[in-house]
Amino acid sequence: MSYADFRLDGLEESVPEPVQRIAWFVFEWIPLAILVGVWELMSGTVVPSVVLPSPFEVGAAVWELLVTGDVLPHLQISLYRVGVGLALSIVVGVLLGVGMARSQPVENVFEVFLALIYPIPKAALVPLAILWLGVGTETAILIVFLACLLPIVLNSYNAAQDVDQNLIWSAQMMGMPSWKIPLKVVIPATFPSILTGIRQAIPIAFIALVSAELIASNEGVGFEILRYGEVGAYTLMFAVLVIISAAAFFAVRGYEWAERRLIRWT
Amino acid sequence: MVEGHVTISNLEKVYESGGERTKAIDDLSLEVPSGEFLSVVGPSGCGKSTLLYLIAGFLDESAGTIAVDDVPIDGPGTDRGVVFQDYALFPWRTVMGNVTYGLEQKGVDKKERQDTAQKFINMMDLDGFEDKYPKELSGGMKQRVALARTLAYDPKILLMDEPFGALDQPLREALQDHLLDIWRDLEKTVIFITHDVEEAVYLSERVMIMTRHPGTKKTAVEIDVDRTQPREDIIMSDEYTAMKNDVWQSLREETKPQAQL
Repeated sequence: MSYADFRLDGLEESVPEPVQRIAWFVFEWIPLAILVGVWELMSGTVVPSVVLPSPFEVGAAVWELLVTGDVLPHLQISLYRVGVGLALSIVVGVLLGVGMARSQPVENVFEVFLALIYPIPKAALVPLAILWLGVGTETAILIVFLACLLPIVLNSYNAAQDVDQNLIWSAQMMGMPSWKIPLKVVIPATFPSILTGIRQAIPIAFIALVSAELIASNEGVGFEILRYGEVGAYTLMFAVLVIISAAAFFAVRGYEWAERRLIRWT
Repeated sequence: MVEGHVTISNLEKVYESGGERTKAIDDLSLEVPSGEFLSVVGPSGCGKSTLLYLIAGFLDESAGTIAVDDVPIDGPGTDRGVVFQDYALFPWRTVMGNVTYGLEQKGVDKKERQDTAQKFINMMDLDGFEDKYPKELSGGMKQRVALARTLAYDPKILLMDEPFGALDQPLREALQDHLLDIWRDLEKTVIFITHDVEEAVYLSERVMIMTRHPGTKKTAVEIDVDRTQPREDIIMSDEYTAMKNDVWQSLREETKPQAQL
């Protein structure tokens, strides 16, 4: 008995060609290059360069901030806030999402809270958070946490509701007791959607971070943007904006790269 | 061998949703002796999958009893192993991880469960694919993994729900012959759901035909052929053709009124 005829050939041979990669890279960055070009043309001509510094000046300012290290402590505290807020939202969000999907009482209790939090812009909660936690790191973490919670809860909730019943039955017929099913079957089966939720939450985390720091902080990149803006150092303000955008961009890219590398089965 | 004997008496299954009651199975009684290969055919929607899931213990019967070796079943159990049409492999586990799953639940130690799993992986001609994940496999390979996974924890009864339905003809035939070899070697009771008369008659010692909705046992046809012959000789013989015709006629009586709607 042999299935040699039915084997799939070339399963491993799908390595993308270097040419494709280069072409893809160029296409991906063309829009940004155009934007920078237009920006350069506008600056000092249509728009006064005081309020729209040229991209080269901004680039030089970015370099200066990084070399002198002036921005680094702020970047560090901001990344810490994003990291902690996001991590908390992942732990709570996955438990809540899976719990709501698999248990009617849990769903009844939390559904109304989530429905209430959902439409509120998270920045609107900053004054309230200041009242509770004061100005500083805890407030920023709380806002990041709340903003990231929803995409993570919703993704894990939907996926945990749609777990293939046959997978659960398969585990049961092989002797897995029912109480182990959520941890051993539902969460792994939901994992790809949990990862999607986290991927969606990363940029939201940065949005929430900057909104919180603009109001409720004495340090961090959001505070730096505000501070440079207030003293009229617009070039530096732009530079900090570029730095935080780049940080968010690399966070998403790094996450996607790690996901592909570390999780082969999805 | 005395184990793996299924007795179904006056089984009834009613689905209720939104105040509406739908009877899926009505007063079905059936005896499947140990080691028998029984196929179940019936028009679509006749409840043949429901019957299988009731025997598996995934669904609760509304009335009647199902007993394995004279003990009424209580939910799913390791004496019965289901092979699903859509494989139902755990995507987060490798081929080896899937095949060892049942042994892991039984608490078999690692070395032994890997040896046992390897035996069934080799039996299903999957050696070399131990570390692949399900998404890296073709449909036919996935179904072989599913079969190996079920065989590895050694249930007495195999419950198969149109397992080859999604596969193309040559692959399906190869798997059918493989299943027959396994059935002979391992002495399992097999209850095999299919909508394919050819498949049912070729594989089984007995084919049960179900009535149209609500499903119950209409009749059963004994398929008495010498299965040591090659496939070509079996399917070309006159007795085989006659038996196949009996099943087909009986099934056709059930599907015909529906087709006219």
